[in-house]
Amino acid sequence: MGIINYAPKILDPIPGGKYVVNLVDYVVNWARANSIWPLTYGTSCCAIEMMSSSMARYDIARFGSEVFRASPRQADLFILAGTITRRMAPAIQMLWEQIPGPKYAIAMGACTISGGPFIYDNYAVVRGAQNLIPVDVFVPGCPPRPEALFHGLLTLREKILKETCRHPWHVGRPKDVSTMDRYREAAKTWAALEEMKDEEMAEARAKFKEEHPDYKSSFKPIRIKKEELPEVPRTPTHKGGLTQSELFAKLHAKFPKVSVHTHSDSPIEEVVAQIPADHPLEVIVDFEDYLPMVEFLKNDPEFKMDFLIDETAIDYDDHFDLVTMLRSMEIGHKLFLCVQLKKDFAIAEEARPTSLLASVPTISNLYPGAEVKEREIYDMFGINFEGHPDQRRIFLDKDFVGYPLRKDFTHPQMIRRPV
Amino acid sequence: MSATLPPGFRIQRETNTEEFFINMGPQHPSTHGALRLALRMDGETIVELVPHFGYIHRGMEKQAESMSYLQYIAMSDRQDYLTAIQNNLGVVIALEKGMNVGVPEKGEYIRVMLQELGRIASHLVFYGCFGGDLGGQTCLLFGFKEREMIHDILEEVTGSRLTTNFFRPGGSRYDVPDTFLPRVKAFLDHLEGAMRDYERFLSKNIIVLERSVGIGILSKEDAIAYGCSGPVLRASGVEFDVRRANPYSIYDQLDFDIPVFHNGDCYDRYKIRIAEIHESMKILRQCIDKFPKEGAWRSKEKPVRLPVGRYYSEIETAKGLYATYVVAATTGEKPYRIHTRGPSFPHIAALNKMVQGHKISDLVTIMATLDPVIPEIDR
Repeated sequence: MGIINYAPKILDPIPGGKYVVNLVDYVVNWARANSIWPLTYGTSCCAIEMMSSSMARYDIARFGSEVFRASPRQADLFILAGTITRRMAPAIQMLWEQIPGPKYAIAMGACTISGGPFIYDNYAVVRGAQNLIPVDVFVPGCPPRPEALFHGLLTLREKILKETCRHPWHVGRPKDVSTMDRYREAAKTWAALEEMKDEEMAEARAKFKEEHPDYKSSFKPIRIKKEELPEVPRTPTHKGGLTQSELFAKLHAKFPKVSVHTHSDSPIEEVVAQIPADHPLEVIVDFEDYLPMVEFLKNDPEFKMDFLIDETAIDYDDHFDLVTMLRSMEIGHKLFLCVQLKKDFAIAEEARPTSLLASVPTISNLYPGAEVKEREIYDMFGINFEGHPDQRRIFLDKDFVGYPLRKDFTHPQMIRRPV
Repeated sequence: MSATLPPGFRIQRETNTEEFFINMGPQHPSTHGALRLALRMDGETIVELVPHFGYIHRGMEKQAESMSYLQYIAMSDRQDYLTAIQNNLGVVIALEKGMNVGVPEKGEYIRVMLQELGRIASHLVFYGCFGGDLGGQTCLLFGFKEREMIHDILEEVTGSRLTTNFFRPGGSRYDVPDTFLPRVKAFLDHLEGAMRDYERFLSKNIIVLERSVGIGILSKEDAIAYGCSGPVLRASGVEFDVRRANPYSIYDQLDFDIPVFHNGDCYDRYKIRIAEIHESMKILRQCIDKFPKEGAWRSKEKPVRLPVGRYYSEIETAKGLYATYVVAATTGEKPYRIHTRGPSFPHIAALNKMVQGHKISDLVTIMATLDPVIPEIDR
């Protein structure tokens, strides 16, 4: 754009020259505004609506933006489709730096405007794209419809058409404002406006009352007739493999220490018999029994539990519950094992939030699928898996402090939900 | 050699050629979202692959601890947004087990019909992305064309195109409008012809055959060991479908087949999804015939309070086994912990097994046939 930027300096002083500059502006803006090529970038739900908008029904080609470029070096427009997480933020800034100017950004969806549904109690989401890059147009919605995206695109088009080479395009800077503060300020302004309006209305109201002393409102709230709905009982059915009682009896014969969650004093067999047919049996396993039991369940011909559905943990005050969900592909029954891992309170209280509090042998040699699940538990709870081949953080950065799914986890940027 | 390997890489090998590493993602059109793959290459051949997750980790499970159960249904929309309506059901079934409420017959039919519509919509996106990743942009346009018709139906019924947030314990939020059945019927008639075209377009296309037959083979044993489910597992020769193995809703009263293929390669994973679209259409036609004209569409509304306990539900979404594990430590409206098992997580974990010895272009094909949705992995 070099030469055109000098045009106003030379032409504006000449009589009639500004018309030439205006013409140049008109032509340049017309060309720019009618072919805005977006970058292929999408992280979550909004990306699907962005894809829909470029398909046959909505046809983004009508606005000259059908050429989605996979490389930022060929793109003009950055449509931020989807939630921005703290881990993704550096990548987004790098992408933005790689786009050659003049470049524009559309923040699509509630997540990129403010964090959207993830604004409260969240440690991972960046609250608003404007904290990272300068955004031109915000498109609200969760996710916005393709029409809304087009509205955003046309708004951007209007913005481009107002550009002039008298003030050449320059890279803006991200506005370093906290989104929450802006919202609180906006809410205050809004409340003040409402109050002002109310005061204005009070006069009119009093005047109306004087003029019509016996006026009676004819307003009646509309009530939708509520449907009479029946109470339907649930009918659980059992299918596939051994029943809960059989499973428990067989397991009890081999490992006498197993028990189940119960809140009553009745014998365990009765408690097991009362479990509804479609609830899987969850047994509490002794810590020493855990690895032998998983091996036994995998290899025993009566159980044949070869499929690991999932492995997860629950944090309590003094212990973790490690839940291993197993299933037999051939026979069809499910069994959940719950191991209680006592927290290691020998660690000093200050160091507890950042240190591994419990340890358990890994089962990833038996079930290869357990490897990633155990990494997730390590990442989220800080439980050490002895013998795990690759114990690293999986979802969070390696320098992340703390273990988020523990109940006492705190994060400096976490905003509590107003109660 | 082992000292210089980046984290995650494990294979020790003697080689005369120089190995190098390639980074793919997190912004890459064929990783289907914000996923980063680190590739160890020998020439053009992939030696090893390490996936790096977490670029869209939104801390949903932590957030769920301060939400009510009903609010979490809306969260499940945003996990696997292609099968949002199915995820809703997964959460709702777990809540129903806790609250011990049932669903009237009409409500169950509404559920099953929307489930199958969601499945078709997700598989159509797969069809489009599979063709698109192989270089056929036309498929992308085709797949989304019919998908828009499903979105029209969903919008009419639920009020939303993508994030439906529709089911509730005991039924759903609204009754279906009168136009629902005729519209579904018209859509099925249209899709019947469209699918014939689509299959003719890709199934015997020489480029598709060359690039997918024998590529990315996942053996039966590996598929089970890694915990794969859904079409990926069934393409490897395991007949496992939650709709048949542990029927929920009214799937035990409907007549449908579970398509199973045995090669476990990319082509089978493509074929099985096409076959599943036909099965879903079969289910939808049965539902239209059997749809109860009278009766309640949901049971009596109750406050969503779960007694102390642990509740588990599993359903078959278009991607595979979607399980919800709810822990209620106190009787009340808030969970102590909710954990979700998404189907795509094990698939990406097994990706390393499939790509070894293949070229990068094959990795694109394999990723497309796994059909992963990354936000559902990271949650």
